[in-house]
Amino acid sequence: MLAMYQNVFPFLLQGLWQTFVISMLAIFFGSLVGAFVGLGRARGNRWTVRGFGAYVHMLRGTPFLVQIYIVYFVLPTTNLAVFQLTSFQAAVIALSLYTSTYVAEIVSAAIEAVPRGQNEAAQAHGFNGFQTLWYVVLPQSFKMMMPPMGGVYVLVIKNTAVLSVIGVTELVREANVSIQRFPSFILSVFLLVALMYFCYCYPVLRLTRWAEKKWGGLHLNV
Amino acid sequence: MDWIFSFYNYRVVAEYLPIFANGMWATVWISTVSLVLSLIIGTLVTLAHMSHRGWLNRSASAYIEAIRATPLLVQIYVIYFGLPVVPLLDWRIGALQGGIIALALNSGAYMAEIIRAGIEAVPSSQTESAMAVGMSYRQRMVQVILPQAFANVLPPVLGQAIVLIKDSSLLSIITVSELLSAGLTILSERVMPNEGFLTVAVGYLVIYLVMLVLSVYTQRRLGGIR
Repeated sequence: MLAMYQNVFPFLLQGLWQTFVISMLAIFFGSLVGAFVGLGRARGNRWTVRGFGAYVHMLRGTPFLVQIYIVYFVLPTTNLAVFQLTSFQAAVIALSLYTSTYVAEIVSAAIEAVPRGQNEAAQAHGFNGFQTLWYVVLPQSFKMMMPPMGGVYVLVIKNTAVLSVIGVTELVREANVSIQRFPSFILSVFLLVALMYFCYCYPVLRLTRWAEKKWGGLHLNV
Repeated sequence: MDWIFSFYNYRVVAEYLPIFANGMWATVWISTVSLVLSLIIGTLVTLAHMSHRGWLNRSASAYIEAIRATPLLVQIYVIYFGLPVVPLLDWRIGALQGGIIALALNSGAYMAEIIRAGIEAVPSSQTESAMAVGMSYRQRMVQVILPQAFANVLPPVLGQAIVLIKDSSLLSIITVSELLSAGLTILSERVMPNEGFLTVAVGYLVIYLVMLVLSVYTQRRLGGIR
């Protein structure tokens, strides 16, 4: 039993590190894309609202597993050089796109939650659209975004587990390989993996709850 | 028009249509069964969570935290591969049963949170007036609190149902045949990822749109907490 853990543990830790790297990359790129999409939905013209709305619904309406398969298997069939992705690149792209829909929802809800009077006051002072957003609205909505963003981060971490299906060597993949070496310890290995995810996600969940108490929750549409 | 055949050969899709239809039906009924089970689990966990007995309360919140902080895929693996190797238990479950149990347990934790929020949104004066006319705990819950909570809870439950339907695609990894498995069948038999996965994506989008229309309609009718 102990020998098994000594053999398996280093690999699982390596997988956990990869999970950490991918989740960080995905939350970073997902937030960039999501902020852009969210702004377009909250402050854009009729066409950006509809276009980004369709984008969000397309990604929300399909399972993440299907999205990875499409990025990893379908995009390369277009024969474009940019889409010949390694599994790691495909994983980061798919997860970032998935993350961006949640971030977009949060950003647009937080912008709309700032009272209308704030906008009107800024305009009365002669602020243009960008200045109103940058100096008046965003500083107020930033605090509101924080608690739900914690929830999104947990969601991203949990979704990295699915990336094992396209061969990204993250935690679940390392666990599957370890189990092929030690088949009789299948339950112990998976419970250990679950514990590792728990140690990663639970502090974020607690932090989210604390932030929610401090800054208040945000009503999200989806 | 040749490029369209090389990118998406709809004749092959037409040939595989019965498999896709079966898969879609399987996704719908697997999700429905899991949804009903998760609502039962969620209600029981909520009642445990709200009880004054310390151990019930603590075990309910431990269950919720454990589910919320671990990925569904790992939960599926633990239940499907893990349960049969527990000594003395020796409970061999099929992929379908294991998958449904995992989905229901996973969704149950989220349902518990939703139901608790719905119950807590019912004003405390309702409980107090029910107590004042001498109703027991059971009468209060069944006749006063739960019907009002139901209206609060329905929109978020539909949202969770959409998540559940999408999550059911993970069951294809443990060889349950549902909508995504139909796409995987085309991939393995014909090596045609586009025909497989794009069709599957459209299938899920159709289910999603139906659910979306349903939730907009109920929100308009009930106007519960959002």
